[in-house]
Amino acid sequence: MATINFTINGKKASLEDVDPEMPLLWAIRDNLGLTGTKFSCGIAQCGACTIHVDGAAIRSCVYPISAAEGKEITTIEGLSENNDHPVQKAWIEAQVPQCGYCQTGQIMAAAALLKENPNPSDEEIEATMGSVLCRCGTYPRIKKAMSQLVKK
Amino acid sequence: MKNTNINRRRFIQLSALAGGALTVGCIPTSDGKEQAINLASLSDEAGFPLNQFIKITEDGTITLFTHRPEMGQGTFQSMPMILAEELEVNINTVKIEQSIADRDLYGSQMVVGSRSVQSEYHKLRKMGAAAREMLVQAAAQQWGVDAKTCFAKNAQVFHKDSENKIAYGALVQAASKLSAPQNPYLKPVSEFKVIGQPIDRQDIPLKTNGEAIFGLDMQVEGMLHASVERSPVFLGKIKSFNEAEVLKMPGVKAVVKTKRNVWGHEREGVAVVAETYWQAYKGRKALKVKWDNQDLEKNSTESLFEAYKEDAKKTGDSLHKDGNVAPIFEKAENIVEATYEMPYQSHVPMEPMNAIVHVEKDRVRYWGATQNPNGVRSQLMRQFDMPAEKVGINYTFMGGGFGRRSQTDMVEEAADISKQVNAPVKVIWTREDDQTQGPFRASQINTLRGVLGENGEIAALEHKIVAQEIRNQTGDDMTAGRQLMGGVNTDYQIPNFSVKGVLQKNYVPISYWRAVYHSTNPFAHESFIDELAHKAGKDPLDFRLSMVKRHPKFEPALKLVAEKANWYEKAKAGTAKGVAICERSGGYFAMVCEVKQEGEKIRPIKITTAIDLGICINPDTVKAQTEGSIVMGLTAAYAGLTIKNGAIVEQNFNTYPLLRYHECPEIETHIIPSADDPAGAGETGLPTVAPALANAIFNLTGERIRRLPLDKMNIIAG
Ligand code: FES
Ligand code: FES
Repeated sequence: MATINFTINGKKASLEDVDPEMPLLWAIRDNLGLTGTKFSCGIAQCGACTIHVDGAAIRSCVYPISAAEGKEITTIEGLSENNDHPVQKAWIEAQVPQCGYCQTGQIMAAAALLKENPNPSDEEIEATMGSVLCRCGTYPRIKKAMSQLVKK
Repeated sequence: MKNTNINRRRFIQLSALAGGALTVGCIPTSDGKEQAINLASLSDEAGFPLNQFIKITEDGTITLFTHRPEMGQGTFQSMPMILAEELEVNINTVKIEQSIADRDLYGSQMVVGSRSVQSEYHKLRKMGAAAREMLVQAAAQQWGVDAKTCFAKNAQVFHKDSENKIAYGALVQAASKLSAPQNPYLKPVSEFKVIGQPIDRQDIPLKTNGEAIFGLDMQVEGMLHASVERSPVFLGKIKSFNEAEVLKMPGVKAVVKTKRNVWGHEREGVAVVAETYWQAYKGRKALKVKWDNQDLEKNSTESLFEAYKEDAKKTGDSLHKDGNVAPIFEKAENIVEATYEMPYQSHVPMEPMNAIVHVEKDRVRYWGATQNPNGVRSQLMRQFDMPAEKVGINYTFMGGGFGRRSQTDMVEEAADISKQVNAPVKVIWTREDDQTQGPFRASQINTLRGVLGENGEIAALEHKIVAQEIRNQTGDDMTAGRQLMGGVNTDYQIPNFSVKGVLQKNYVPISYWRAVYHSTNPFAHESFIDELAHKAGKDPLDFRLSMVKRHPKFEPALKLVAEKANWYEKAKAGTAKGVAICERSGGYFAMVCEVKQEGEKIRPIKITTAIDLGICINPDTVKAQTEGSIVMGLTAAYAGLTIKNGAIVEQNFNTYPLLRYHECPEIETHIIPSADDPAGAGETGLPTVAPALANAIFNLTGERIRRLPLDKMNIIAG
């Protein structure tokens, strides 16, 4: 059992007496009550659990909480104050979500990509967005939103 | 989403105690029952309900209750749009709230078969119109004029002969005391302002910032978590498990046997109950269950298909008959024959199954994501012998459903565990559980035979379906029911046509899956129609057109898709097109798929559809549903489940690949304008995907695809 300290959405968090092997996903959802980050495959295959750790997109379902010590974490709840991050705005504009369950992962993956590279090529977009699954089939609209974002 | 699912009857009491109860006449719900219901029960907040769907406060806030659960299909917005149309309010400024689960108030609330818009359209228009007439009446009374000289617009009532106008908020108290008109005036379709507009969905902003609450996100005071090990061969019985060892693990509170019923089969599991999900999951991983699997492990995809193929030789039960095929087959010199195979599929909603149930001595409560809130209540009433008012149902947004969440087995199991540990219990299924436990989309073999006439027209066609039937999975009755022939096109003008069914029964559980048998039969039917067209030396689209002459829906749809997809243009090198048509839930689809050779592999690059769904409430939602159906249809064409040693092989996304962003073809949806009553949009785009794709591959390569999935055949690029 361990105590882990990190910053999440700008606030300090300290988790005591946790299993260091527990994926960060469950700490975020169950211990901290931030349920916007989703569980779907648990084996880093779908991207539903995507968060930012020190600015980079990672899959929290396979990220042990012990690795989060001292890190800056951002979840979907902390991406913007008023749902107005450019990616969120483009997503609403293109009416992307259907059930919405995968969209945290889609948005967090897109936001990390554009932060690192505001003008990604189609191949770079495919490499990132091609690894986040959506069973509802919102891909045509994600494509529309991405092309809006990259044009700007 | 705010939790508004508080027991209605409790509210009646509360408001009666508060002394200010409003009782107004209710309009009959779909089951035709009329009753006086205390509508203060609709909310604990101030405001005046005009009926079970509409509440207005004196400050003018309008709340519309949407009574169908939302799984992505868009009823969260489309149900209130229908109300808003007749109520004469701006849909973008009203509040939309999920209604409570209550069969008496709302009739069926189950979301299956693309039925919500179809079945609720007239009812909701009537509800909106009745509330509008009550408001108009209240204004007329206040002004002392005839209601006929007043009209409603933009949440206000106007007097035609003067400058008088009053906002709804100022009228609602008086209006709520009037009795509801039973036959309110409904506007003509030509005057619609809301219905038919591509209006932004109110649930979408909740789904871009983590605010939307799904079943998995619910937390209940004092809740324990459970992870359940279930028999990999579905019907295995528990012999023993290492309870003592697992009980010693951190946080583990109990290790108990549990069970649930799936379509008549009792299914067993061992639940590890702990303080947190992670502890429950780790406990479960340490669990060693010995199963009595009888001889189920001898089953495999091959052995099951062997049985199907053997049975395909049987005559089968007649499901549909036009003319008489027998004499034509007897005399025919050339009979065209083909057999098509389709695999089992799992539903794969991105939100895995889950449920929270708290069973107490005198009440039971449920929290979760369900397509069937009243079915969940019935399940819990049966399970614990409780009256309806003792069963509380709290339903959330669903992270996909696709039919899986119309079943209540996951609730039964969570309730069974809660009862044993005497605490609220949340059960979360892993992706592997979800993927391998079923119930699945049926696997089947279809055999078709056809004879061409002198002019290359179809003289006789026989379609035989060998499959399990959802509603008949146990017992001795081996008669195939008509459910089996879903999606077989009976609108083609073929003089001698017969459809037959050979019922299969085996241990693999099946259930409703997006479009149900319309997700399988059209692959066989529309591929075979294509085979016959080629045999007859005819263009496959023209061949179909000749068989749907003067059909009011199929003929225009086929002509439109031909035009939009440039069907008659010469194909560019390395590309080809395929066509298919189908009716589902009253909606008519014509689809053209264009494929392209890329190196060794083939990729669908564009799918064009022309659809007639009657009136589309929200055309943007219809387009989204069509895109979604096509993506799901492509995944089902590429990937499928196989069985080895009695169990499902494909456990997670690494072996069951969903279609990805860059694999999605361009999708173009053309809606044919119509004033007819609305049809269902949620599944209609799926049935034509596999045959249009397979027919395109044939046009490109000359090779006929008669077996799905394609991934096992190394054809498709991915
Ligand atoms: S849940 Fe983490 S990648 Fe799927
Ligand atoms: S929107 Fe439902 S899974 Fe992507």
